[in-house]
Amino acid sequence: MIVLVPGVPALLPSYASIDNPVADLRAACLDAVGTLGPRVRVVAPTDLGARVAEHLLATLGAEPAADATDVLVVGNGSAKRTEKAPGHLDERAVVFDDDLRRALLEPLPTALSGLDPQLADELWADVDGIRELGDLLRPGTTAEVRYDGDPFGVQYWVICWA
Amino acid sequence: MLRFRAHTFTDDATLMMAIVNRTPDSFYDKGSTWAEDAAFDRVAAVVAQGAEIVDIGGIKAAPGIEISPAEERARVVDFVARVRETYPSLVISVDTWRAEVGAAVCEAGADVLNDAWGGADPELVDVAASYDAGIICTHTGGVTPRTRPFRIEYDDVVAAAIDDTTRYAERALTAGVARESIVIDPAHDFGKNTFHSLEVTRRIGEMVETGWPVLVSLSNKDFVGETLDLPVGERLIGTLASTAVCALAGARIYRVHEVVETRQVVDMVWSIAGRRPPRRAIRGLQ
Repeated sequence: MIVLVPGVPALLPSYASIDNPVADLRAACLDAVGTLGPRVRVVAPTDLGARVAEHLLATLGAEPAADATDVLVVGNGSAKRTEKAPGHLDERAVVFDDDLRRALLEPLPTALSGLDPQLADELWADVDGIRELGDLLRPGTTAEVRYDGDPFGVQYWVICWA
Repeated sequence: MLRFRAHTFTDDATLMMAIVNRTPDSFYDKGSTWAEDAAFDRVAAVVAQGAEIVDIGGIKAAPGIEISPAEERARVVDFVARVRETYPSLVISVDTWRAEVGAAVCEAGADVLNDAWGGADPELVDVAASYDAGIICTHTGGVTPRTRPFRIEYDDVVAAAIDDTTRYAERALTAGVARESIVIDPAHDFGKNTFHSLEVTRRIGEMVETGWPVLVSLSNKDFVGETLDLPVGERLIGTLASTAVCALAGARIYRVHEVVETRQVVDMVWSIAGRRPPRRAIRGLQ
């Protein structure tokens, strides 16, 4: 099993509010990570992303393990999708995310491995982990989407691949 | 935990105690809630604003015409019963120093006896104990109820406030009042000049360190007015500045005229102090 979640810091207890602004995203992440076993390999290119992954695993009583077969990948689409987005509006963002969504859902391993790092960087998209999905996913694998939205101008997906 | 009869609050909770005067002559509202229906409307308004406690008073603090115990009871007892019936989850405090009035209001459903005059009637603690009610133990420097301070001096006003209020709290405990139902209050302006009240505000953390929950009653008082040279009606900003200082030090209950403004200040300061999460933080965390 492979799961993708976004590395959203608001999911961390240290950044918890009284009213949770990411309650539905958090629920989707926990549902998806709950489909993984008790030992999970984490693919998170940033420290913050790794903390989010470890928090989700710990909440469910699972633990990171480099040699596990189940994989939790941390990444997300562009953070420049709207004028209010963290990176303001970049008109290339929606097209970039649409292409990325198609590559995740089909899935298209070659397209995932070949994601343009410079364009992703310019669009504030966290795809270093997602690029590794190119080696993990096989064409024809069924993708189950648990969350697909951009509530703050940042594209999030929570996806399970069986 | 704080507990006033059936009402409980966690140790990180701050509480707004809204002032409701059943008096024709209190300094701030000047009798605007003297009529029972007007006072009842005031209760409805402060409940809607989020007040956890109402503090109902039948006698103004300042000197004036003597109000007999019978007259005080007539002003507050039936009113307490009406508020109790309409707002079962609201904490009802009554501002009185008289044990016989305290017993009557507890019988009518009051949860707290706010003894603004520092134990002038020694039997008030027994009433609180017999009804399992809360009690507010204030410091007045030993003055007679409804008198103004005149040339009062302290070696150390904060030490005096701590000594008197904690002694009063221990006396309440001995009388049988539950530990979690006892609150101390330095009583700004009561038996104090403006310099005293400013010092108490500056050093309110020393009262918090006693471990007893601290109530502060700052709202529109003369120490604010004299500090800023502003009349009643123009003291809100000074009141809120004083509130912020007390909140940072950890005061738990705020006896107020303006609920909404005080709640915002206390919540903001409580969050700055790291005792309360923000209501909804997402900036930079998406």
